Amino acid sequence: MKHDNLDNLLRDTLKAEVATSAERLIEFEERVIMKLGDRHPRLRWFQWLSQLLAPTRGTRFGQVAIVGATAAIFLFVGLTLSNRILPGGEAPKLSLQPVMLADGNQEVLFVLPALDAQDVAVVGNFNAWEETALSDPDGDGIWTTSIPLSPGRYEYAFIIDGRWWGQDPLADEYIQSFGEYSSIRYIGRGGDGA
Amino acid sequence: MISRKLAVFWIILIPLSLAVGASAQIPLMEYEQALYSIPVSNPDFILSTIELGMTQGDFPAEPVLWLIDRLIGHPAPPFEKEAVLLVLAHALEDGLPIKSLINEAFEGLARDVPLQHIERGLSVHLILLAEIRDLLYSKGIFNVPAGSPQTVPTAIPMLRFNQLLIHVSETIGDFLEGGGSPFEGHVLYQEVRNRLTMLQGVTLLPEDVELVLKRIEPSDLTQAALAAVS
Repeated sequence: MKHDNLDNLLRDTLKAEVATSAERLIEFEERVIMKLGDRHPRLRWFQWLSQLLAPTRGTRFGQVAIVGATAAIFLFVGLTLSNRILPGGEAPKLSLQPVMLADGNQEVLFVLPALDAQDVAVVGNFNAWEETALSDPDGDGIWTTSIPLSPGRYEYAFIIDGRWWGQDPLADEYIQSFGEYSSIRYIGRGGDGA
Repeated sequence: MISRKLAVFWIILIPLSLAVGASAQIPLMEYEQALYSIPVSNPDFILSTIELGMTQGDFPAEPVLWLIDRLIGHPAPPFEKEAVLLVLAHALEDGLPIKSLINEAFEGLARDVPLQHIERGLSVHLILLAEIRDLLYSKGIFNVPAGSPQTVPTAIPMLRFNQLLIHVSETIGDFLEGGGSPFEGHVLYQEVRNRLTMLQGVTLLPEDVELVLKRIEPSDLTQAALAAVS
């Protein structure tokens, strides 16, 4: 075979292959775009959440149901565990909000964390600065007592194993008296007693 | 039926009110016996002021007796105990409320503060009470005896007037005790405003608070504080 003939043969073959491939390239771009259009974009978590919570997306009901069910499971597990951890399965009944009594006074709770203390008491102008003992029946280091007080301003301090402590974190303000701190609480202010 | 209920009500109420009255009024003889136990050098003067105080509506009868009892058990010499009681006697003689003075004495005793320091603190407090009383008078705010009609809005019944007096003077005392300067009149005024506002509608009437805050000025409080520290 001559070289010229071989060249011609190769050229014709290549032309035929290019023509076939070119046919495949027709509308290739449109087809790619169409394919991409069927796919959802990758969303960030907050975008996903906003879509999930969007009220108009009725189709998201299933996802909401999944989230709700997960929350319910966590709640159930949490309550079960708390019932096992807390003795008697009941939440503590302590409340920092004063409780209104029938005579117009308020049952005011005094609380002090004192982990290694043996004796804790509160003194103030409501008990003529004579000690009222706090108790810690469950031994968790949280000492409490409730004292019925009429609305007004009260000055007080704690005594922990004989040492005075006048800076109660629950106080409304602090003053210095005889060179030491005392705590102040306003009872009955706006009905909150804080 | 109703008359039977009323009869039962009165049968319960009358002995109850008599019992309450009896417990509120302590015979002068009890104070006298307690004073002789200290003993004080001039019991007659102290007793006469206690008798005078008993005529006031807010005389803290039981706390006064408790204070004398605590002083009896105190190891300090009798003249120091008498000095504490004399401050109270002078306040009563001057017609000033002693509730806050008694509280301060109790606190000092509970904190084991020497009696001389307690007496000094009480004296400062007494000056402040007198200064603020005079200040309120000078601003046209007067007190009227309990039971008397309130003829003008600036004449406040004694118990309400004394409440204002106690809180304003205590605020200045706390401010000075906390290291504040008498010359910081505006800060002092703000402290007084805060305290009265906190108690507005609780133990103080809003109109009384408004009246006092409207009439007193920072410079007035500076004058009172200066009188106490000088």
